Amino acid sequence: MERVLGDKKAIALMVLPALIIFVGVIFVPIVWTFIYSLFSGMPGFKFEYVGFSNYINMWSNKQTVAAIKMNWKYILFVTPGQVGFGLLVSLMMYFSIKKFKTLSRTIVFIPTILPTVAVAQMFAKMYEMVPNYGLINALLDLAGLDRYIQPFLGQPNTSFGALVVMDIWTAIGFYTVIIYGALVDIPHELLEAARIDGASGVKLFTKIVFPMIRTIMITCLVFSFTGTIKLYESATALTKGGPGFATTSMTMNMYQNAFLFDQYGYASAVAILILAQCLLVTFIINKLSREKY
Amino acid sequence: MDKEKRMKNVLSVIGKIFIVIFLFVEIYPIFWILMSSLKHTQEFNLSPSYALPKQIHLENYVKAWYQGKMNIYFKNSAIVTIVSLFFIILLGTTSAFALTKMRWKLRDKVLKIFLSGIMIPTAVVLIPLYSMYKGTNLLNTRISLILTYIAFGLPLTIFLLRGYLVSLPDDMIEAAIIDGANIYQVFGRIMFPLMKTGIVTVGVIQFYFRWNDLIFSSTFISSTEMKTVQTGLLYFSDMYGNRDWGAIFACISISVLPTLIIYIFMNKMVIEGMTSGAIKG
Amino acid sequence: MKKKLLILGVVLVLLVSMLAGCAGNQGAKTPSASTGSNTGSSGDKFQSRTIKFLSIWPEDDKNSNGWIVSELSRQYGETVDGFKLEYEYVAIDQLDQKVKILMSSDDLPEVCTYESGVRLKQVIDAGLILNVEETFTELGIRDCLDEGAVSLLKRLVDGKGLYCVPLGLNMEGFWYNKALFEKAGIQKAPETWDEFLEVCEKLKAAGITPIVQGGSDNWPMTRVLNAYLVRSVGPNAVQDAVTGKKKFTDPEYVAAAQMFQDMAKKGYFAEGMNTIDPGTATSMLMNGQAAMNYDGSWKVSNLNSDDNTAGPEGIGFFNVPVVNDSSTILDYSMNCGNILMFSKKKYDDKVADWMKYVFPKLGDFAMQETGAFKGFSISKMPEDTTYYTQLVAEHLAKAQGAFLWFEAKMDSETSTIAQQSISLLYTGEITAEDYMRLLEETAAKSR
Repeated sequence: MERVLGDKKAIALMVLPALIIFVGVIFVPIVWTFIYSLFSGMPGFKFEYVGFSNYINMWSNKQTVAAIKMNWKYILFVTPGQVGFGLLVSLMMYFSIKKFKTLSRTIVFIPTILPTVAVAQMFAKMYEMVPNYGLINALLDLAGLDRYIQPFLGQPNTSFGALVVMDIWTAIGFYTVIIYGALVDIPHELLEAARIDGASGVKLFTKIVFPMIRTIMITCLVFSFTGTIKLYESATALTKGGPGFATTSMTMNMYQNAFLFDQYGYASAVAILILAQCLLVTFIINKLSREKY
Repeated sequence: MDKEKRMKNVLSVIGKIFIVIFLFVEIYPIFWILMSSLKHTQEFNLSPSYALPKQIHLENYVKAWYQGKMNIYFKNSAIVTIVSLFFIILLGTTSAFALTKMRWKLRDKVLKIFLSGIMIPTAVVLIPLYSMYKGTNLLNTRISLILTYIAFGLPLTIFLLRGYLVSLPDDMIEAAIIDGANIYQVFGRIMFPLMKTGIVTVGVIQFYFRWNDLIFSSTFISSTEMKTVQTGLLYFSDMYGNRDWGAIFACISISVLPTLIIYIFMNKMVIEGMTSGAIKG
Repeated sequence: MKKKLLILGVVLVLLVSMLAGCAGNQGAKTPSASTGSNTGSSGDKFQSRTIKFLSIWPEDDKNSNGWIVSELSRQYGETVDGFKLEYEYVAIDQLDQKVKILMSSDDLPEVCTYESGVRLKQVIDAGLILNVEETFTELGIRDCLDEGAVSLLKRLVDGKGLYCVPLGLNMEGFWYNKALFEKAGIQKAPETWDEFLEVCEKLKAAGITPIVQGGSDNWPMTRVLNAYLVRSVGPNAVQDAVTGKKKFTDPEYVAAAQMFQDMAKKGYFAEGMNTIDPGTATSMLMNGQAAMNYDGSWKVSNLNSDDNTAGPEGIGFFNVPVVNDSSTILDYSMNCGNILMFSKKKYDDKVADWMKYVFPKLGDFAMQETGAFKGFSISKMPEDTTYYTQLVAEHLAKAQGAFLWFEAKMDSETSTIAQQSISLLYTGEITAEDYMRLLEETAAKSR
């Protein structure tokens, strides 16, 4: 038994290729990025060791600070939005419909599988005002709500909102299906017993349902968080970060500094900052979720 | 009791209405895109955008496919995604197996290394990877994307498959070993088939992630011949975005349809996998 | 059994696609190798040659610069076996980034669209592109370039030399819809800024949108700000601020940003203007949805086309109105449009041969087809020049001095900030002081 399950050659054969690719493409570059972050300029062009000054200068760089703020605002709206709506819809599905459950789940999941750029192009068209009214403005026009007709992607606030709505819309189905899967697993007897005891509505949810799906909710939060903190694709495709810097995320800021301004060193420092935030938050979520066990 | 029952009925009706509205909101934009893609460009000026097309204009699709070069982008996306998916699953299943069922000293440490990858943001590796591929002349090749996709696909794959494997009892493995099976047979004949649902789930999730990648493909790829659907669509919309609505809608539809069709055929497996399998690990 | 077949099928598909993937990779490498620097093979006359052209104009956009180059190349291709122009489009706001990436991988295409000024200077300094003056003299086609354009181009790179060919000899100013002016009771085009504001007010009172700019590309908005800045501070306003002789935060600079924002607040600009692209702005001007549009003389090709619903004389032009005596009405905003530069590494006999065919013909061809000056000498003016072509010719003849566009002397970071933030100045999200402070802080970094 030990001989077979501890076969060194087999283990090496099974794990090493994956480990080499993984370490080569992810870990080595992280170290590399960190080293870059201690330099200014780009290799071959004003590349000088500057210690930690990139990390200090970052806080007086308006675009970077704006990007950090914007990104966190985005996380605070989108992560609860995605997971919250996912929970709400899955509860509705579980408790209030009997027929068409599979069909509903199938439909709900569709936006998740659509390519981000396509979804963004679709929403851009929906939000459009000039030269033609897009879907939303056309509907407002139809409803006689002319004063709400506006260039949604042309104003910082509405453009941020437009992005949030789109990213929540896309991901609800994903979380609905996962959470629904957890709901199905709750033993029926447990629910029945609670009902007989007179628990219903909110109480049933907080006392019985939620504790049963807590683990999956935490997984969902981590998923959603790691997705939202690296915001790039959807904002690039919907607003290109505009108007102004209203929807420019940390990753977009890093990208701009690296590939547009030739500041590899500074951009690397921003990248390390993103990584640090990721690790910190995941650590906190894990800590909090473990405490209660 | 009566009151409570009525209350429950009302809630259930509200829930149903909510679900219906919600499903409509989720699905209507896609319907709208498909309808708009059949319109003549002038129709957008003449009638409101929720109106149905007056006539069917399939030439929009012809334009998107050839002028929009969707044919090239599609081929590229398909090759890159499928090849990396193949390796993600191959390497992911073997590693997950070795990291779960086999017994060795560094197992937990290696597992931790892999799992830490889940929270690594793409931004942090972008610049060095770009320099690396530039140095090795791999920019503008599919290999650059495939390698990157595999590396970024592995952590989540291992995490999900491991969750799946943990729930499988060891008895079968032990029985097989006692019967004289070697480790490869145990993996290939017993574990791999058992992981099927998990593999489908992982496959779909990874397909979705890789197919949708924009940041790597737009950084590593600059030649038209190698561009993927995502970058291609972005360029096409810059090019025709405001001039030719019919074509841009057709282009969006084209990029949406394959995933939609695959999903319609696979949805049972996908949803099953998502609800009953791997994620919960 | 069925399941086994299914699995077998999937495996087969995977294997085939992997093979296709590998084959695809090789296939992709072959052309790039043949277009590469291996001059050893370029002596072989029978080998096919693909010249790659990176362009910011959609290929099928007739009368655009991209179309002119690709059409002439097509004609050239008819005389030479195995020649192919590979046309690659990149959105204008991606151009800079794209060129940077290509530069860093030493992979600039044979022919590449770019922008003159500071940006071109960087490429020159990196030693990656041909000295056009030398090359064209060698090829005996130096006289196809217009001298006015050449001197402007040299000035833009601070006298480093001629490293690009122009794709225009443009002047910029306000184009206006005559019918709408008449409708609002405006007799003549404004010459001073006060008159200009009066015109805007009158148009607005008549229920007409006074100005539309293609704000989604940002530069059409900074142009308007620059118009006032130049007229109130002088032609070297930006240059002085960039070098540190003056500051962007000086009151006269802030006043220009303030003017732009005031105009926005008074509703002189089209609603949602920062979501309108330049092409749409032009059609809005032509079909009477807005009365004025600040743009370059490249617009002539649109105005000459059948799409111009305003008719063959329906659109007029006036130069940027003056504010004070820091510059006169005979100073025009001039530029050579986007330019073409040529990779030094990929230059060979075949590229030379292509150049010898295309560029001597470009001036006349463009004039004939589009009625626009491209900064190339013109051997004969077509007899039936349109009103718009003449209009531009008249103004060009009048020009005594030239000033540059807003970002011409800015480094890429300052220029990006200037462009991205103008949208916020337009929406009122930031104040004029904020805007100029942003520019000052960014420009100060590289002084």
